[in-house]
Order: sequence, then structure tokens, then C-alpha cells
Amino acid sequence: MSVDIKLDKRIASVEILKQYENLLEIKVDDKIYQVDLMHNDEGIFSILANGRSYNIELVPQPKPKLFTAYTLYHSYDVEVIDAESRYLRNRSGAVQLTSENTISSPMPGKVIKIPVKVGDEVKKGDTVITISAMKMESEYKSPIDGIVIKIFVNEGSTIDAHQKLVEIE
Amino acid sequence: MQKFTKVLIANRGEIAIRIMRTCREMGISTIAVFSDADRTSMHVRYADEAYHIGPSSSSESYLNADKIIEVAKKTKADAIHPGYGFLSENAGFAQKCADNGIKFIGPSPEVINQMGNKIQARLTMIAAGVPVVPGTTESLKTEKDAVDTIKRIGLPVMVKAAAGGGGKGMRLITSEKDIVSLVRSARSEAKSSFGNDSVYIEKYISSPHHIEFQILGDQHSNFIHLFERECSVQRRHQKMIEETPSPLMTPELRMKMGEYAVEAARTVNYEGAGTIEFLVDNDLNFYFLEMNTRLQVEHPITERVTGIDLVKQQILIAEGHPLTITQDKLRQSGHAIECRIYAEDSDNNFMPNPGKIYNITQPLGLGVRSDGYVYEGYEIPIYYDSMISKLIVWAENRTEAIERMKRALYEYKITGVKTSIKFLERIMDTDDFRSGNYDTNFIEKNKAVLLADTKCTPECEDMVIIASYIEYLDRLNIAQTSKEMYTAQNRWKKYTYQKNFERL
Repeated sequence: MSVDIKLDKRIASVEILKQYENLLEIKVDDKIYQVDLMHNDEGIFSILANGRSYNIELVPQPKPKLFTAYTLYHSYDVEVIDAESRYLRNRSGAVQLTSENTISSPMPGKVIKIPVKVGDEVKKGDTVITISAMKMESEYKSPIDGIVIKIFVNEGSTIDAHQKLVEIE
Repeated sequence: MQKFTKVLIANRGEIAIRIMRTCREMGISTIAVFSDADRTSMHVRYADEAYHIGPSSSSESYLNADKIIEVAKKTKADAIHPGYGFLSENAGFAQKCADNGIKFIGPSPEVINQMGNKIQARLTMIAAGVPVVPGTTESLKTEKDAVDTIKRIGLPVMVKAAAGGGGKGMRLITSEKDIVSLVRSARSEAKSSFGNDSVYIEKYISSPHHIEFQILGDQHSNFIHLFERECSVQRRHQKMIEETPSPLMTPELRMKMGEYAVEAARTVNYEGAGTIEFLVDNDLNFYFLEMNTRLQVEHPITERVTGIDLVKQQILIAEGHPLTITQDKLRQSGHAIECRIYAEDSDNNFMPNPGKIYNITQPLGLGVRSDGYVYEGYEIPIYYDSMISKLIVWAENRTEAIERMKRALYEYKITGVKTSIKFLERIMDTDDFRSGNYDTNFIEKNKAVLLADTKCTPECEDMVIIASYIEYLDRLNIAQTSKEMYTAQNRWKKYTYQKNFERL
């Protein structure tokens, strides 16, 4: 049984071919690896493959089957697409991605200012919300010319990363 | 002479722990204060006593002078150590400590005031014969005055807020037509940041080196300097890497600048640890920039090359002891470098990245010191500075120190939040840093290399996919009631299970 794993934009299919204790023969797309894999501690993996030692750390995200993976110098967004999630995806038709016209912040913080209100016309590049985190203020600008149709937060409220803030149409 | 038995640390995070460590070595008991957001902070766990002082926002907690004094009185603290930032350079707070019979570990309120006002500080230094950046010695009165003065000094110039700090109320003026508008915006930013719109003009020195001297002064008019720190690697006017000795320094220049630093301290009859910041140009001309009347973030590199615990000296001086170290006995031994680890996304314009620390492995080994405060499971609050730790290495010489820093950064693993570790490691590899040939434009100049997008190899990517798959299977197993159903797939976790059983 293989599943798909999405690594940033790449989607690869993975399948275990053979297994003996911690030694695995595993297929990633069309490449077959013999690896010695240790799940050392919660989310920490040590993998020996082709004579190299890889350390990979996985941090679970709020949604199941989503992780952030850390290698030595990189971090990746990882999503496991198994039968269940494939079924859910198909059932809901097109994937409901966050619209590009919805503004969100990549980090948690506090809403300092919302200089617009619902119904306001905004131009591309106009600041629609100011977020402060760790003594630094960031202004989020409208990606398009349009109208503010929804504001999800209030001035002074604290927000989570990736939370919807303002929607423009 | 007083002997402190209890000291309150009016700060948080890394520096609070740093100060408490020395207190512990000196047999002084420690009092921590904390805000709503900091109940879980390591400094609260490290202290002997800890008291809540208010909501998360620092203006209602760590900047609340009255509340902190109240805790100090209630707990019968002999002294307050302000650390850096927050109330450390607040003359009003120092005065309140004195009024309540609590020793403020630092200089007198008068000295803090005198050095806190940049125009005042310039005047003091000119009187002491210390070279200052050419410019005005009084606040600009009218806009016409500004235009005339700037024309006299010659473009480019910097307009700076008299009450300034942290890059606020500061503008670079390069063309005549912008003078009026930029002076106006500097004034308004100064007004909103410091409640004081007074600004002055300084000649702009392009690509300077930022070099500072550590000084100590006691209550008996003894003054010494503990050599320089090179702090030119900066982003957004914030330091990222410091080292000592400075690669730019010559023995003659060090002696000359050191003498001026001591003279500056003597002029204001300085008490405690302080720092004289200088700008140095490529022809080794140097100018007084400002004085910091507190312990600096980067003080550990000085400690490492001189062998002197600066916090211990601060406390001894505050207790009234005369300095026992003399200038002629001081030596710089070897080379020390500090890297500041920020929770930030270097690839995304250094945007702060607060969040929960999932895993942390700190570097160890010969010559490595790590001053931090975060731990596994700790959630870095959004309210305070994004610096989570300082990594300090020492080695016999600069080349070895750079190699050691690279090794230590390689060992340093933090997951859950993005950090500046990768960025710092790349700095260690640049020719400009390795040759010591860098100034405050270093990051801007090397941006392309420092921010290059290098992917991990395809094989390494495949390993990430394999790890994710195994993690996914393990999670499925946990969800099942019986682990027996998947024994075959479960084998690779056996090791961990066994390890955990052995612990019991």
C-alpha cells in the first residue's frame, strides 16, 4: 500500500517493500533505498542511507497529517495524503485553499491597527492591517484593487499564525 | 561597605538568568519578577523567589517601576539589577530605588540622564576632549536653521533624536530637497517614540565600523577599560555578531581609544559597568557615538577574553568595594565571538517568528558557552524581544574561533520556530568575515550569498519523505486500540519503547 507525501510543492509516493527490525527497504517514487531508521525520540529520526547519516526532526502541526520537517539547513511543509484524505478531498470537490485575497500573517502576534472597515474600497498596496510581534510592527497590504468584504479580528486582539485576518474581493 | 543578601532582577529571559547565575555563585539569593506571559519563563524557575507584576505588555509589567519597587520592598531586597533594556537606562527608576533605600546596580540618575540625552552626551564628551562625530551641539530650532546647518556641514548627514535609541527618530539625508521633509518626519517619530521632538545633525559616516569599549568605574574614582568589542555585523540597526579583539584594531589605536573611554567615564564620575560606543572609519579615525549606562547584551565576549565576571564586578562595585583589577594587569587572551540567536525568519526579511519550541539541542564542547532561556515545550511570547539565546565561543586565535563557531552552530538544533542559526553559519563562511574585512554594510553587501536558496539534496528530501511516512504509520498505530495489529510495522519503535521501560 503506498501513500502520497507532499513536500512543499513536490508530491512523492512512498511504499515499504521489506522490513526487518529497523532495517527498511523503501521506495520513494521510482527510487529504492535500503535504510537503517531509528525513531529516537518523539519526532526525531536518525536515518542511515548509502553511508550517510541524516537527522530529521518532525514537528506536528495543528491539523493531523501535517508536519513541519527540519533537516540540517531546511524546513519543509509536509502533508501525508492517504486514502482517507484523498476521499475527503474528492468529496468536497475542489480543494478549499485559502483565497489569495484573504490576508493572513505567517506568525502569531497582536493586531495594532485596522485602518479599513467592511465596504471600504482599497487599492493594491494599501495597508489593511498592522500586526505587532516581538517589538516589530508589520504592515499587511492589499494584494489587489478591491473592496473589503470581511474583517475577522479586532484591534488589540491576539492572533495565531495563518489565521484569516481580512478578506478583499 | 554593604553586603547584599538579596537582589531583585528587574528583567526577564536570558539576561535575568545570566545575572542570577552570578548571584548564586556569590551566595546572594535572587528574586525574579514576571508578567502574565512569563509564568513559564525559565528565569522564574531559576530564581529563589518569584513575584507576578502585571499583564504581558511590558509597559504594564517590566516597565512598571512602582510595582517592581513594591516587590523589592516587600521582599526586603538590598538591591535591584536592571539587566539591559526595560528600566536599565531609566533615570526616574534609579531615583525611585534611591528614594526607597534600595541600591540600583548601575550609575547615578544624574549620569543616566546626562548620557541618555544625546546632545548632552556630545557636549560632555567635547568638554572631556573626546572626538565626536562632526555636527551640531544643540537642538535644531527652525527648519531654516536645519537647512543652513546641513549646508554648512555638507551632505550626507544624519538627523537624530536627542532622546533617541534603537534606530527611532533617525533619518539619513542625502539630497538638499529632502531636508525639510526628513527633518519633519524625524521630529514626529521622535515625538511619538520618546515624547521629545528635539533633534540634532551629525555628519554621515559611510560604512563605519562600530567598535565599543567596556569600562568599569567604582565609588572611589578608579576607572579601567576592558578593551574593545567589534559590533559591525548588524541588521536593521541591531547587532547580530560581536567579536573581540576587533580585526581592525592596532595596539596603538586600542591604547588611544581605551584612554578616551576611561576619560569619558572619569568625566561623569561613572559608577558600575558601562560602554562607550565609537564609530571608526577605514582610515582609523574614531568618533564618540554614545554611552550605554548598563550591561550590554554582548558582554560575555569581554568576560571570555579577560576572565572577568562583569556582573560580579557590578555587584561588588554597588556594594562599595574598590576595584581590585588595575589597567596594567588586564590582558586580552585569545579570541571570542558571540552570535545572537533570534527567533526569526531570515529568508523573509528577518520577520520575528514566535512560537513553541518543540526540540532544542544546545551545543557543548570545548570553548562553547550558551546563554539562553528557552526549553522544550516553551512557548516564546509575542510581547518581547526575539532574541532567544547567545552563543559564545572562545579559541586561541580568530581562525580557530570561527571554525569553532561554525561547529557550534552546526550542533545547535531548534525546531518549532525559525531561527537565525543558518544565516549565522553562512556568515562564518563569507570571505569578508573570515578575512576580518567588514563594516556595518556587511549584511547588505553579502546579501546574495547569505540569503541564497540552496535546496537540500534529492536524497535528503527523500529521507524527509521516509521519516514522514514512518511518523504517519506510528501515529496510525497509536490511534489503534491494539498495538499488536501492527507489530511488524512497529518494530522500529521497539528501541524507543525499550529505552523508556529501562527508565522506569
